[in-house]
Amino acid sequence: MTSRRKSSTVMRMWDWSVPPVSTHREVLSIVPEGWIDQPRASRKPPILFIHGLAHGAWCWAERWMPAAAELGFPVYAVSLRGHGDSGGRKRLGRTLMRHYVHDVMQTITEIPQQPVIVGHSMGAIIAQLVADRYQPRGLALLTPAPIQGAAYTLPRLIQRRPAAAAKVLVGGTLPLGPEQLFCNLDETTAAMYVDRLGRESPWAQYELMLPHRIGPVRCPVLVVGTPDDRVVDERAVTETARAYGVDPVWLPGIGHDLMLDGGWEKPLSVVLDWIDERC
Amino acid sequence: MFPVRRGDPALAHPLPAQDAVGMIIDRGGAWAVVGAGPHGLSALKNLLQVGLDADGYERATDLGGNWNFHAENSRVYESTHLISTKPFTQFPDFPMPDSYPDYPSHWQVHRYFRSYAEHFGLLDHLSFNTEVVAVAPADGDRWNVTVRDRDSGVETTRQYAGVVIANGHNWWPKIPQYPGQDTFTGELKHSADYKSAEVVRGKRVLVVGAGNTGCDVAVESAQNARETFHSTRRGYYYNPKYALGRPSDQTADLLLALRLPLGLRRVMFKSVLRLTVGDFEKFGLRKPDHEFFETHPIVNQQLVYYVGHGDIQPRPDIARFEGSTVHFDDGTSAEIDVVVFCTGYLAHFPFLDDTYLNMVGDHPVLARQIFTPSSPTLAVSGLIQPDSGQWTIAHWQGMLVATYAALLAQDPRAARRFYDAMVRETDVRFTGGAEYKDSSRHYYEIAHQEYLRAIERDLQRLESMSGALVSAR
Repeated sequence: MTSRRKSSTVMRMWDWSVPPVSTHREVLSIVPEGWIDQPRASRKPPILFIHGLAHGAWCWAERWMPAAAELGFPVYAVSLRGHGDSGGRKRLGRTLMRHYVHDVMQTITEIPQQPVIVGHSMGAIIAQLVADRYQPRGLALLTPAPIQGAAYTLPRLIQRRPAAAAKVLVGGTLPLGPEQLFCNLDETTAAMYVDRLGRESPWAQYELMLPHRIGPVRCPVLVVGTPDDRVVDERAVTETARAYGVDPVWLPGIGHDLMLDGGWEKPLSVVLDWIDERC
Repeated sequence: MFPVRRGDPALAHPLPAQDAVGMIIDRGGAWAVVGAGPHGLSALKNLLQVGLDADGYERATDLGGNWNFHAENSRVYESTHLISTKPFTQFPDFPMPDSYPDYPSHWQVHRYFRSYAEHFGLLDHLSFNTEVVAVAPADGDRWNVTVRDRDSGVETTRQYAGVVIANGHNWWPKIPQYPGQDTFTGELKHSADYKSAEVVRGKRVLVVGAGNTGCDVAVESAQNARETFHSTRRGYYYNPKYALGRPSDQTADLLLALRLPLGLRRVMFKSVLRLTVGDFEKFGLRKPDHEFFETHPIVNQQLVYYVGHGDIQPRPDIARFEGSTVHFDDGTSAEIDVVVFCTGYLAHFPFLDDTYLNMVGDHPVLARQIFTPSSPTLAVSGLIQPDSGQWTIAHWQGMLVATYAALLAQDPRAARRFYDAMVRETDVRFTGGAEYKDSSRHYYEIAHQEYLRAIERDLQRLESMSGALVSAR
């Protein structure tokens, strides 16, 4: 549980008075055969994956979704508006974090029971905002964007990648290349994945800079980080874990996109084992 | 339709025999929830979510309460649509599908409640076709709940740690009495009997009352009856569902979000009404005798339209009935075939002694419209009439009761402190600064944002109390 004094979870003025417009939403899913007929109490809980900045539902469909479904988990992944094959690309310049939360909430209502929510990077922030209004079965935050706001990373970004920093500051999408996302992936595959990245909403990106007042939650929380992450630093991971009073799980030797990088099996088994044990 | 559970209702909850105390089955720390309408479902879900056990009882064979169209006590009619839009009307943790329109129909609403119950696994905790016939106090602030299986007639009594009453307050008709009413030769009906326009088709109709139902029925009657008269006690503000291209309740919430003062909001609303609808008096309607926000909002875009076409003839209050004639206060009269009283409903708790609900006259007076000064383990949910959507409030009422119930199980003394402070506030009303008109439809009227702010403060107090408990260990 976090001790941070949070803003109101009850009064959602902007959602009430200016609700998000509905948009076509891409939801990828695999439900293992016979799962729906098993007794609710004993069957594996559904998993809902939320992608990060500029990604799409496809990043989960590559490796993790088939592997988890093979083990009996019904798996779902949503492309946030303006991402993947979802609609709303033209409105991306007017899209806020709360619109993404709306997309995830809509997806949740289509899942037959309360899912474990797995969020990656910016998706981890969205997952926490969702858990702020909905009680999931569990909350897994993988290489989470900083809960304390990413503003503190700016000086280092300016120093190391001045062009990228300038682009972000004027509202461009943070440039992500193979060197940022992967540690041990062959060049062709890495290039193929990077090629699939889209644009990000400038407003959502600015919102990532600000601190997030989130929690407490009533469900189990898992925080996974990697020391070889070149997008999210260790401070962001420790701070997130501290907010929920848990110890982060560190997985060395894998890059930021741990669902695509070589060695993706390890983090997946950490998540699934945690679900089996705690959720 | 949910399959009806037949046979001994006790079998719906297989319990070890040693739990039985005499003829009463002890359900330990579990709570009972009376009714499976939106408030009952929300209470049940939130009790389960905080880790308590709970049983829900529903008289009908399906969930939905008022929104379960075919149920005996459902008061929705074929054409019923919501009068508030989705964003505030839905449960905040289970939004209505994007595919629903701004103002969903009662069929869609019912489907929505069903998917809510399925998603949160509530069906395993609900007994349908099971009527609660008695809720009686037992030792130690516990409650004996007697339920009857409506097929077999078998009665079972179970003991609970607490009870949430969510049986609704829009099903027990309130029927007015006018001089000569008994001698009236036409048909007298209450909106409770009004399921579709068949009631009025081709007839000369008098609709009494300008609540949202009254206006809906008057409009339907204008479309189907030979002649329609609409009798109201006073002039009202008939708000459009859409104004300036937006749903008007969303605009209202926007003005509240901007924290504009009541006076300014009144001026803005009245100017928008004047711009989009016009001057009510010019349509032959009476000038409202009260300020905006002093009566429950009427949301009906079509009424004024039909008045303008002469299909609805506005009339003042009824003076007396005489044969087939109805005389009005202004001296006019009309020949009427059928009178539909859309005069509202009264709260009714046939299974519980009124003293436990702090009845004053014909309505309970409760703190936050939830807690009764007579018992710390009895809560009411849904006894509210918000000036906006309902089920966001249903969610937070359920959360408050469940969080309180959890604290009661964890630290009874802390919970008692909360309860004692709470029931000193039975006279606190949430009017948003307005002075509500004194009438039975405003007993439960609340200004939604002011009310929710109070509930949020209560929740924070409860959380800090259970937080103190953790650090004390």
